[in-house]
Amino acid sequence: MATAIEVAGVSKTFQIPHEQRTFLREYFLHPFRRVTYERNQALKDVSFSVEEGEFFGVIGPNGSGKSTLLRILAGIYVPDRGAVRVRGLLSPFIELGVGFNPELNARDNIRINGTLAGLTKRQLERKFEEVLAFSELERFVDQKLKNYSSGMLVRLAYSLAIQIPFDVLLLDEVLAVGDEAFQEKCFATFDRFKEEGKTVVFVSHALGLVGRFCDRVLLLHEGAVRALGSPHEVTDLYRERILVA
Amino acid sequence: MGAIDFKAKYTDAALGYVWSVVKPLAYFGVLWLVFAHLLRTANQTEDFTLFLLIGILLFLFFIDSVSTMLPSIVEGGATLRRLAFDPILIPLSASVAVGITFLANISAFVVFAVIQRIEPRVEWVFVVPLLGELYLFTIALGLLLSALYVRFRDVGQVWELVAQLLFFACAIFYPVGILPSWAQKVAFLNPFVQVMQDIRHVLLGGASGPYDVSAGNVYAGYGGRLVPIVIVALIVLAAFVFFRREGRYFAERL
Repeated sequence: MATAIEVAGVSKTFQIPHEQRTFLREYFLHPFRRVTYERNQALKDVSFSVEEGEFFGVIGPNGSGKSTLLRILAGIYVPDRGAVRVRGLLSPFIELGVGFNPELNARDNIRINGTLAGLTKRQLERKFEEVLAFSELERFVDQKLKNYSSGMLVRLAYSLAIQIPFDVLLLDEVLAVGDEAFQEKCFATFDRFKEEGKTVVFVSHALGLVGRFCDRVLLLHEGAVRALGSPHEVTDLYRERILVA
Repeated sequence: MGAIDFKAKYTDAALGYVWSVVKPLAYFGVLWLVFAHLLRTANQTEDFTLFLLIGILLFLFFIDSVSTMLPSIVEGGATLRRLAFDPILIPLSASVAVGITFLANISAFVVFAVIQRIEPRVEWVFVVPLLGELYLFTIALGLLLSALYVRFRDVGQVWELVAQLLFFACAIFYPVGILPSWAQKVAFLNPFVQVMQDIRHVLLGGASGPYDVSAGNVYAGYGGRLVPIVIVALIVLAAFVFFRREGRYFAERL
């Protein structure tokens, strides 16, 4: 089987200034004061690869670098060191979905995000109804998103993410706010992705789901890879070593 | 995307798109009243109405474009943090809405030109490359400032001030020829003034009066129009290099 995602020695450090200098004034007032930075190394020399058609889980406590890793895979962040190679089309679903504009209605938001994700005008027209049907939000299509609940937003975002043609899907905490009916619907799509041989990277705190769907699981802790293996082994290790400590 | 932005801007307004045309006309009306009738500076140009209208339409396009592009990356940050795409799309699509407004406003010029019985002439085609130059200059400045704004939020305040000053410095409501010659040299460093003067000259011909000067006259012997055009080229280059360099890190800085 071919490799879908190849991550080799990726490191990423964020510099967090102790005092934020977003105003020039601060440079004039204290020109000689050195800004002290706290270096937060979000990822330390992370390497792994994901096979095509694999359902790959990423777990770890808050702040362990999961979201940073996903953003680097999605090409949103640039790694400081190391390289990432993704084969095929990628659809990211990060931080409760795509960036919606709250001032616009669902219709326009689907169009904008579909376009940014690379859909052509014709594809967009064809997919539009499917997105809406999956989200079951037809009644609210002309309502501005600022009046949507977080559950409705996640429905719309997930429906959009899976309608964009992809080979690799990145899912970050998808199901945190959806209701049970919608969660079940998402699980059904997970099964479908597996049948279709799509590659899915699944970041979650729901260890039960990780065990249910994932073929292999990566455990991140403080930015480094702690374990990589079968869901059973890795989630057990996570429960024993990290959650308890 | 630009079309949707344009729609979003006016969706909650009762008169909708009408505002995009009314605003510059109202602006124009006030200035025309003040300068043509109350202060009587109008007699320095033969066709003050169209002279002023051209100045205002171009100026509003220039200032409004830059002002909409400037905060666009910071405001569009939510999308940048979730999807990987070329960030240049955000300020460019923001500028489209202003471009649509500008095109609608050209109709205002046509109406006034008919009233003033201005005959179209072949030279008018020169307006197209001149508008192209203005567009490049505007977009480049917008990109540069929008990328800078991510690092320094004061850029917004500074630009607001500069925009106010430019209104007086850009010879919108007075002929640039009444300025002393050193001030003309300074004024024509701004490519906007060069484009506006050339468009006025092309559209109104000699009718723009004895004070009709261009970058060609002011910099005669130093390269003429090339001076502002080189400035446009430098700003375009700087904008694209800077935007490319900064763009990779927008997502983590927002």
